[in-house]
Order: sequence, then structure tokens, then C-alpha cells
Amino acid sequence: MRELEAGQRVPASGYAVETTGLTKRFGDRTAVDRVDLRVPAGTAFGYLGPNGAGKTTLIRMLLGLTRADAGSMRLLGYPVPAQRAAALLRVGAMAEEPRFLDHLTGRENLRINAAAREPEAAGQIEAALERVGLRERAGERVARYSTGMRQRLGVARCLLADPHLLILDEPTNGLDPAGVVEFRAMIATLVAEGRTVMLSSHLLDEVEKICDSAAIVDRGRVVAQGPVSELSAEGSRSVVAQVSDPGRALRVLTGHPAARSVSEDGQRVRVALGAVTGDQARLAAADINRRLVEHDVDVWRLDLPAATLEERFLQVTHKMQEEVAA
Amino acid sequence: MSTITINQAAGQARPRPGAVARRLAGAEFLKVRKRRGLVALTALLTVGAVVLAGGVLAILHAADPAKYGPAGGLGNLANAGFIVSSLGAVAAVLVGATMGAGDVQAGVFRDMVATGRSRLALFTARIPGGLALLWPLVTVAWATACTGSVLLAGSLSRPGVALMIEGGLWVLLAATVAYLMALGLASLAGSRSAIVGILLAWQFALTPLALGAAKLGVLREGLLTAGLDRMIPAGLLPGARPDPVSATMPIAVGVAVIAAWAVVPLVAGAWRTCTRDA
Repeated sequence: MRELEAGQRVPASGYAVETTGLTKRFGDRTAVDRVDLRVPAGTAFGYLGPNGAGKTTLIRMLLGLTRADAGSMRLLGYPVPAQRAAALLRVGAMAEEPRFLDHLTGRENLRINAAAREPEAAGQIEAALERVGLRERAGERVARYSTGMRQRLGVARCLLADPHLLILDEPTNGLDPAGVVEFRAMIATLVAEGRTVMLSSHLLDEVEKICDSAAIVDRGRVVAQGPVSELSAEGSRSVVAQVSDPGRALRVLTGHPAARSVSEDGQRVRVALGAVTGDQARLAAADINRRLVEHDVDVWRLDLPAATLEERFLQVTHKMQEEVAA
Repeated sequence: MSTITINQAAGQARPRPGAVARRLAGAEFLKVRKRRGLVALTALLTVGAVVLAGGVLAILHAADPAKYGPAGGLGNLANAGFIVSSLGAVAAVLVGATMGAGDVQAGVFRDMVATGRSRLALFTARIPGGLALLWPLVTVAWATACTGSVLLAGSLSRPGVALMIEGGLWVLLAATVAYLMALGLASLAGSRSAIVGILLAWQFALTPLALGAAKLGVLREGLLTAGLDRMIPAGLLPGARPDPVSATMPIAVGVAVIAAWAVVPLVAGAWRTCTRDA
């Protein structure tokens, strides 16, 4: 029973990618450790983790480039590797930095890749080049391309499949700021067309701006997963106070019941609150202000920065490191 | 989340294997024919070598007919057969090793695998892809040699059409086996330069030594050169310099030896292509 009927972009399960207990070991090192991942179809999904966290290895397993040691996975509803060919028919993927045959032109490189796909793929070449802004330069040998142009050509290669699912590994590497903005817009358009985009990145800002949901991975394990807004909201908050006497402020606030840690930075004191709700953070900020004033410390400015994915990321990866150290 | 119908082809069965194989072979041919240096070298080692050898002989004959005989004739076609089979095999090794290891070394093999196409299909397409470059050049080289042997024969005996065809098939066989061997081994090793070096050293340094080592006895019949020499058309034997082992070899053994040298590396290369991390 096929899970993806003709013309349909969303599998019956509602997930474009599903993995259960997916594991990959290289000798004694576990690169991917029992990963359970659910990528909702029709969304932009961020797979976020520091360098060496196992992001690329997971993608390589999904694409059948390397075998999994344990666990199961489904792409667009098809079990992989059992029905790998059917699964990858509508998957466009860029694993690691895009590589090409340098002696061929950009267009010829796409022709090579299209030959391995359906006959219709060859007809997508010009549209794909147009979409990534490379049509004018497609007749040049790839050896002359900049890193950014190679990145664009890699995305064009993904589009040949008329993909229902795009898997992109660090896709903005080498793009200039304008290119990054264009890329974000392109991802938004692709998602609006009903496609799923799975974006692997170590750039938190990129994921926060592009993705609807994300998973944070560290040392091969998924340590947090969900909508980006929820992940960010779960992040630790802090209060930053600009004061007349930072030394005294540090002494006053050390030991504050809401504070996980207090640090001094020039005229500013930062109080890390840990994982708290917005209301709790506001109450803590008010109490910090009151205590400083009561101890004759002038408060020139008090900030309660919005929770970010970065803080959540650092929180969960830090926790993971502590667990490993213990 | 929504379900959008954009492409009715989605999820349909893939096209017939024959059509896919043709497209993949065409892609492989595109890869190799655009390597200008390799194409030039292959042309030089095949057509160029024949033209050069024939040209030198023609000039010598024109300069001093008493000392140097005509550049054509049966004997010189036999010499050309030796040149085309030897240098054609070198060209075949260069092309085969490039086809076998090119994708892996360039890092594009993973992108081909990620299309969902079977690895065996990707490997198999390399066979016609490279031969599409090699066969025409070897054929043109032999045709040039045949033409020269007739037009420049002078007083010498001219080769017959049957011998020309047999000789052509033989030089194509020699080039094809060398190509398949290099393709398979390069796919196995994932390295072009190493396989080129090993095969050329084997073919031009170690094999002659082994063929001359009487102590190896009947084992020498297992060498590719012995098998190929057994297949040399009788009319070309004088110039083709066959090794002493092949003369006494049963023809069936020659066929089996050639098949083994072509098939075993190919199977090994296919196995590695199907199992390696892309």
C-alpha cells in the first residue's frame, strides 16, 4: 500500500520524515544515538546542532548513503531502505557541501543528475536554474563558480526532482547576506507550495528565521523537539541591569532566589533566571530592581530580553555536556 | 498543512529500465567526452600513434626507397595491429580508471545515489559510457592503418578485407578488456591514479617477465596477454609479436582467460559500488 498517492505531497501519517530509534556507530563512537524524529509535512523544519553533533550522518542515513546500525525510518511514508527508490523519487537533497564535476558546466552537471531521475527531470533544469538565479551563468564550467554559486547550483539540483521533501545540509554556507535573504524567501515559497523543507544547520538565527519547528541535537541525540516558538519560550531568561556600582550589585544579587547565576560585564550585571515563564521573569526583574535600589545601587536601565532559540539551544546542549561529564 | 496537487506524475512507476539505462549511459558519455585532456590523449594513443608510425614510414620510404620499403602492405598492418592493441590498451586503462573512480573522487557519487537510482544501474552505465568514447577512436585508428596498408602497399602484398575485419575485432577486444579491467578495479579502489599506475606496470613490466619465466609453466596461460595473443588473427601474427605461451594454448582456454580478466574486476567493482558509503 503506497502512502503517497499520485499528486499528493503529504503522506498519510502527516510526517515527511519519521525515524524511530535510529542509531549509527563508527567504532566506539555513536554518531547518531536512538533518534526519534518527526518532521511535519508541508513545513520548514530545522535540525539544529553544534558541529559534530551527528546532523549530516542522520541525513546520510535517510538518503541511503550509509547504513543505519539500528532503528527504522520513513521518508514521505515509505520505509527506507526497503522502498528507498520510491521514497527518494520526490526527495531533493543536498548532503554536506555540494560537489560537482568541475570540468562540466552548471547545466551539464544538472543534466547528469537528471539522467538518474525520471524523464521529466530534464525538463526542470532551466526552471531550477532560473529559480536559484544561475541561468545566466549555467553555461560556464563549474570550476569557475564561487562557493555561493555552487551552493545555489546544489539547491537547483535538489529541485530537479520536483521534490515533496527537500533535505538541505547547511544550505547557506558561502552565501553572501543578500543571498541568504533570497534563500530564506525561496524556502518560504517552497513551503507555501506544500513542500517540506528539512534544514540542517548549526546557525541558530537561520533556523529561527526560516523554520516552523525544529529539533535540537547534541552528541547524536535529539535533546529537544517542537515548534520553534515553543522551543524558544522554553529557553532560559535573564535580566540585564545597567547600574552605578556593578560590584555592589553583584554582591546584592548573588543568592537571589530566582537567579541561577549572576555575572558582571562592565557597568552591567546579568542575572540568569533559568527556565521560567514570562510572568515569573517579569516578577523577578521587578524584585531585582527593588533590591538594588534598597541597597543604594542606582539602576540606569533594566532589560528583560526576549527568550531566544539560542538560549534554549545553549541550555539543552550545556545540560547534555553536564550529563556526559557526570 | 495541506494536500496540493501540482504534478500528476508524482508516485507513478518509473520508466522502463532500457530507457533509464540509455539516459545513464548518455550521462556517463557526457562526463568523459568533456574531459578534453583525456579525449586528446586517447586520440593521440590510438589514431595519433597510427598516423605517426605510418607517416614516419612513408617519409623514410620516400626519402630512400632502396633502404626503406613501402609504408603499407600486410607486414606493416601487422605492426600497426601491435601498436593499436598496445597503446589502445593504455588509452583504455586511462578511460576505464577515470570512469570507475571519477564520481567518487569528485564527490558526486553520493548525489547520484541520493536520486534513489540503484547503485548497480549507476555502475553498469559506466560500461557503455566509456566504450562510446573508446571504440570509435580505436576503430578509426584501425581503419586508418588498414587504409594506409592498402594505399601505401606499393609492391608489397595487400591485406584482405576479412583479415582487416578480424584484426579490427581483435584490437577492439584488447581495448575493451583493458577498459573493463580498469573500470572494475578503479570502482573497487576509488582511486584513478593508483589503478592506472598498477595496471600499466602490470601489463608492460610484470607480464612480460612472467611470460618469460619458464618455471611458472602452465600458470602463464592465465595471463591476459597470453589469452589475447591466442586470439590474434593468423595473418597478423608476424607483426603482432605474440608471446611463446599462447601458441600452444587451446582457444577455449584463451577465451576463458580473457573473460575472467574482464569479469572478475567488473564484479568486484560492482560489489564495492553497491556497498561503499557514498
